[in-house]
Amino acid sequence: MAETRPVDVHPPYLYPDYKSTRLRAPAQSLVRVAPSPLETAGPVFPKHFVGKSEADLTAWGTSAPLGEKMVLVGRLLDEDGRPVPRALIEVWQANASGKYPHPVDDHDAPLDPNFLGKGQVLTDDEGRYRVVTVKPGAYPWQNHPFGWRPAHIHFSLFGNAYAQRLITQMFFPGDPLLAIDPIFQSVPEAGRKLLIADLDLEQGIEGVALGYRWDMVVRGPRATPMGV
Amino acid sequence: MPKPTPSQTVGPFFARDLLWKDGGVVLFPGRGERITLTGCVFDGNGAPIYDALFETWQADPTGRFPSGHDGARPYGYGRVSTDTDGRYAIETVKPGSFTGPGGETYSPQISVAIFARGLLKALHTRVFLAPIDLIKDDPLARAIGDLERLRTLVATPDPDDPKIYRWDVRLRGAEEAVFIEF
Repeated sequence: MAETRPVDVHPPYLYPDYKSTRLRAPAQSLVRVAPSPLETAGPVFPKHFVGKSEADLTAWGTSAPLGEKMVLVGRLLDEDGRPVPRALIEVWQANASGKYPHPVDDHDAPLDPNFLGKGQVLTDDEGRYRVVTVKPGAYPWQNHPFGWRPAHIHFSLFGNAYAQRLITQMFFPGDPLLAIDPIFQSVPEAGRKLLIADLDLEQGIEGVALGYRWDMVVRGPRATPMGV
Repeated sequence: MPKPTPSQTVGPFFARDLLWKDGGVVLFPGRGERITLTGCVFDGNGAPIYDALFETWQADPTGRFPSGHDGARPYGYGRVSTDTDGRYAIETVKPGSFTGPGGETYSPQISVAIFARGLLKALHTRVFLAPIDLIKDDPLARAIGDLERLRTLVATPDPDDPKIYRWDVRLRGAEEAVFIEF
């Protein structure tokens, strides 16, 4: 047997306060195996998979979208602290009114014709990324009475290996809705602050956009023996 | 050592943002006999899960791992969402077996990740495209042990069309699929 796993920062599958987990979380224990050599390799995205403007979610329409413009910067690292270069990061989010341009979003809030809320970026050779967007709005949901999701941006990460694949959400500092959000609260306490961006004004654009910083960490490519 | 970023659900609103045109047609550099892996994803009540993201990653027919792209999309990778019946379909090639670092043989298989509203973490597993009698030495088959549970990961050729492999995935309850953690 290998070393003990470090403290798990990931949420459990079953978290009854988040109702949708009750019928979707597996009841049986997961089977622990080493990633196969296939899973320590991963899909390779062509350089021009990402268009130049796709990291700027505000440049899509014919004029600027409504809302508080923001620049988000950060790095994608592995658990050894090494940058993960040339990795695909996909983002999607609600508009400033808390509305997604998605057919199943029934929140009675306006769409913004100048905001689609989707973008993607490849990390550079040092694992850095930069995204320009507007701060998403909070929105109500049916999970529990008076439920509101805190403002968040969805992230989909590929890393450089299939075993590094991660989908998560980034939240904003000081948001009182974090305390009542079962999706955020499903994360063990030790992991919660890892999902909250830091205000970093100098990464913004003077007089135009607020700056935030958020680093993401995927498991190491040598993560092979982890807990196996 | 930095801590890993915690996982969160993909939520219900990903479709337009994460789906690729022809994302269910898996590309490979060479030619190979095309097959389709298809089936439905069900919840603990047996109801179809109509808002799952279903992703696949696999070796080519000779067991080599894809390491490039066709100029537009990566080789070897598939991505679709389930439809209102919970159905997914991935058109691809039949993967070959491959060897692990310790000399162990991995049977023909496709690595699968399922994301959905209500899944706070991805569900990872591997689906086998070979009869259950021929996969017993596979590392995952050995780790599972129990044949009945292993059966939940075996895709079966359609009796009318052997190029169609059928695999239903039950996330919870009776005939619950085996899911893995690395």
